[in-house]
Order: sequence, then structure tokens, then C-alpha cells
Amino acid sequence: MTYYSGKNGTLTYNGSSVAKVSNWSFSSSVDTLETTAISDSERSYVPGLRQATGSATIFYYDDAPKPLLERIIGTSAISESDILSLKLGWGSKYVQGNVIITSGELNCAVGEVMQATVQFQFTGAVTGVSL
Amino acid sequence: MSYTGPLFPNIAASSRSLTVGDYPGSSFRSQNGAEVRVQYGNRRVGTELTFSFDNITDANAALIHDHYNDCRGTLGVFGVDRASLTQQGNPGFHDGTTPLSTNNRFSAAPWGLRYRYAEPPQFTSIKPGRMSVTVKLTGVLDA
Repeated sequence: MTYYSGKNGTLTYNGSSVAKVSNWSFSSSVDTLETTAISDSERSYVPGLRQATGSATIFYYDDAPKPLLERIIGTSAISESDILSLKLGWGSKYVQGNVIITSGELNCAVGEVMQATVQFQFTGAVTGVSL
Repeated sequence: MSYTGPLFPNIAASSRSLTVGDYPGSSFRSQNGAEVRVQYGNRRVGTELTFSFDNITDANAALIHDHYNDCRGTLGVFGVDRASLTQQGNPGFHDGTTPLSTNNRFSAAPWGLRYRYAEPPQFTSIKPGRMSVTVKLTGVLDA
């Protein structure tokens, strides 16, 4: 039996590890499609579309968050080449998929280490998972 | 006599809306403002039925599509009897026990009312295997 903590966490994009990650999160959800008929007294549903989102906070140490931030902060137009393969890991376990960075935030404050926060939307099904 | 198509497929609707028609007639208003109304017929006309079928299977959506085709689009009339979608949900309003019962208020069979498509049904793809369909019918006196 093994507990996992932030020490075991990793964040990898396109095969390269992102340094100085403070935290990441992953969320998956499924829409429900209502199939209740007028003769029913209880609502009924079938599974609809699934989606996954996530976020990560990275200390701005050297250029650690740069590869992710430049997918959304820049002078050139966003294109499909900005879709990344992202892998969220803990120990030997992981969730992996193709993501679009949907928001990027830089936070610089007196007395705090500068941080960058990115949020991402998975496109398509996750390409690999080990829970 | 209009072309008669098959009965509407027996699929439970997600919502159903009935707009009852009216008896044919005219009204005349004289110069002093008095109104006289004349009734031309003893059977109600202009009934409208609207159904939505949300997230039904492709197979059920195909039944509606094929029924529309079998009725030659908006041309053919068809019945809505006890085995069809109108029997469900409001038994006090429409009991569906006998086709000619006066309690069959959706089908209004005692007046010889049948339905035809008021417009082509609309099919919306939701996800693989599921579709939503909207159907609008208009009542036709066919007797």
C-alpha cells in the first residue's frame, strides 16, 4: 500500500518534463442526455459526451513554464499545432492526453515567488491512463 | 378521400403539445357594434399536435423518418389511435381505450379527425446512436 503526495507528482508535455511544478489537477465529467418520456414518473438519462479539463501552477524558475505559456501568450495566432501531449503523473501512474491551453495567468507579488497558472482542455479521449 | 398512410410509430414522446381547433364559422359586426356569429360546421378543425422526442435511439428516429416517407411527406393523412404515442401520460384526458371514445381527445376520432404532417420533421444528431426529433402535425377532417 502506497500513499502519494505532491512529491510524487510530475507534469510532462510532448515528452519533456516541466520543472518546478507547484500543483496540478485533473477533472473528468460526462454529460447526461435526458430520455424521460411523458408517461414516466422518474427522470431517466443516458450517458452523453465526456470531457476532461485540468490546471497546473508552475513556479517561474528560469523558463520552466515557458513552453506552456507560449501556447496562449504570444503575438502569433493560435493554431492546431498548439495542441500539446500532456502527461500528469504520480509515481508510476498517469493520465495522458492531448490538450489545448485555454488560459494562462502570471502572478507576480511582493514577498512571493512568481508563479504561472495554466488551465487546459483535453481534446478527444485521454490517450493513456494508469490509475 | 386523401391518401392514407400507416399509423404513427409507437414511440414515447418527451413532450407533447396540443392546440385544439375551433368550429368553422364567421362573425359579423354591425355598425352599432353588435356581433353575430354563424357556425358553419359541427366538427372542430385546425387541431395541431407538436411532439418532441429527445435523445431517442437512431432506430426510433428512423421509424419517424420512414413514417414521414410512407405518408408521402405532408400529403398523406394517418390515424393516431390507442396504440400510438397519444395514450401515454394523461389518461384522464385521453384514455385510449376505444378508438371512437369521446375520451380520446388527442385523436378526436368521433369527429373523423386524422393527422398529417404540418411540416417535415426535424432531426438533430446528438451523439452517436442518439437523435432528437421534432414533429408537428395538423388535424384534417377526412370523413
